[in-house]
Amino acid sequence: MIHHKVTLPRRGFLKTAGAASAAAVAAPYLVPANAMAANDKLTFGHIGVGGMGGGHLRGMKGRMDRGQVNIAAVCDVDERRLENASRMAGSQADVYRDYRYVLDRDDIDAVVISTPDHLHAVQTVHAAERGKHVYVEKPACCTVQEGKAMIEACNRAKIAVQVGSQGRSQPEAYLAHRYLANNNIGKISRVDCWHYRSPSGGTHPDSDPPEHIDWDLWLGPLRWRPFNRGYLHGTFRWIMESGGGQIRDRGAHVMSCAMWWMGADGTGPVTVEATGEAPRRGLWDSAVNINVTYTFKNPDWVLTWNQPGKPVPPEERTGREPGGRISRPGYGALYTGSEGTFHHWGGDGGTWAERKAREWEPGPDAKDVYRSPGHMEDWFEGIKTGRKTIMNVEAGADVAILTVLGNLSFLLGRKLQWDHSKREIVGDEQARRLMDRPERYPYAI
Amino acid sequence: MNEQLTLEMLIECIQSGNANVRAAARDQAGQVGAAAIEPLAGIACEGEFEVARAANRAMQNVVYHAGRPGASDEATAVSAELVKLVGAEPPLQFRRDVLWMLWQIAGPEAVEPVAALLDNADLRDDARMCLEGLPADEAVAALRAGLAAAPDDFKPAVAHSLRKRGVEVPDVPNLRLVPTKETSVAPVGR
Repeated sequence: MIHHKVTLPRRGFLKTAGAASAAAVAAPYLVPANAMAANDKLTFGHIGVGGMGGGHLRGMKGRMDRGQVNIAAVCDVDERRLENASRMAGSQADVYRDYRYVLDRDDIDAVVISTPDHLHAVQTVHAAERGKHVYVEKPACCTVQEGKAMIEACNRAKIAVQVGSQGRSQPEAYLAHRYLANNNIGKISRVDCWHYRSPSGGTHPDSDPPEHIDWDLWLGPLRWRPFNRGYLHGTFRWIMESGGGQIRDRGAHVMSCAMWWMGADGTGPVTVEATGEAPRRGLWDSAVNINVTYTFKNPDWVLTWNQPGKPVPPEERTGREPGGRISRPGYGALYTGSEGTFHHWGGDGGTWAERKAREWEPGPDAKDVYRSPGHMEDWFEGIKTGRKTIMNVEAGADVAILTVLGNLSFLLGRKLQWDHSKREIVGDEQARRLMDRPERYPYAI
Repeated sequence: MNEQLTLEMLIECIQSGNANVRAAARDQAGQVGAAAIEPLAGIACEGEFEVARAANRAMQNVVYHAGRPGASDEATAVSAELVKLVGAEPPLQFRRDVLWMLWQIAGPEAVEPVAALLDNADLRDDARMCLEGLPADEAVAALRAGLAAAPDDFKPAVAHSLRKRGVEVPDVPNLRLVPTKETSVAPVGR
């Protein structure tokens, strides 16, 4: 086990005012992964190895092949996926169905959790209780209480957590952040996010689960229900209890960028109000259309989620820009300031900033902002130094809570009042109950 | 559907063969209130697949609407209707759904009928979760009594609910982190 430092001060780059030179901006912030000494090698377990999890495992295998890390375990409740993962990870990796075997291993320093959304919080908390560092896919949590429990458990365990809103770590996210932080559009009063609709569907009847899937473990903390193939794989995100729709899936990216660039991590709205429309038939119940207004105070600004909204047509590009060509123009955000506007497309693994931010040349007195070396690399550095990651557990939980509150306001059909200092809804007894939900045992926080 | 939705209109529309009509009724069911619960439950248990689903979700919308601030009488009335449905007759999964709705809106009046299900092999965990979610002190008392009466394989779950409610339960093991399920997949290449 690596004994990580835990008391280093929080990084000071957030408001690095003044004469940051271009050279300083370009200097690597982190120890390059390939500079890790052999005895510093981190050992990883991968929990959930399909979809994004397969991508993470592939990336980690590349690092292992370069001698930078070890992969000791892969785990999935779908045995077909597990077999594929075993093939990808190599024969040194043990295979598990139950993630708790991975957490029991003393030789594993850190876990990469890429399971469906409803498992993120419980697996993160359990990993923290076993002292493992955690990379967990977004959105971090499905309820307010899950988010609070994650923060408490991870801080108590003093582990490094990275939530998978990797938009913050993209090259053009840095350029956008730097452009906005230098007041190029003045004081920003609105951020309007747009995204295309969530789908309707899931019209298959319930059935017995296939033999290669452990349905009990897949459900985890969710209340028991019969298997339905409309839940699997990837489509879990169209169901409220296990996903919550585009506002949760991509909102955890686009709104993550907004909170980061607005310097709003650690804050929250005072009110949340949503309207929308649920699917007219089928198992999937996440809102097809949903519009949410989040009102922030001190400083005053408004964040909106518009699904669908008014997309900004993608700009023409050569492909040689830092982020390359815009391949996903269907979501993004428009920032409105006192002296102009700025927009970006994407916000996840693809984040594309408007030309004026990419072409802006900082003067000698310009503020610099943190430039992530890559989302995974930023996490590695958090593990090794103890400093906060770019999408740490508080930031990740708070962005996920934004999406939770949006959906909750939609479901309840009423405006919610939010006290961020306590991370609590106020003045609505039922909504307060719904900040939490009972969990099936033993898959419980 | 711009006019005030009546119970009769709701029940007619929720059974429509037109998904748009059903969805509109489902989304406005809250305004009908507690009177809608029993007839919607009948449709949810016996209707055609998508009609039953619409009725079930309409019931949930009634729960959400009745739980709004300043409507405690409505909440109590809806809770009373839901409690009638946790008995033996409705299908198992529907009773699970009702227990899930109950913790979102009910008060102490729901504790006794829910606690009675703690010895029901099929519903005991849903009943436990419902009691865990009910903020009433009576729910904690019911969980304490449930723990004393629970068979050994159910005690850890009840103890967990009590711990969530702030009760120390030192004598029952916490199994949250104990792995139990082994894979049949062998590591490739060994």
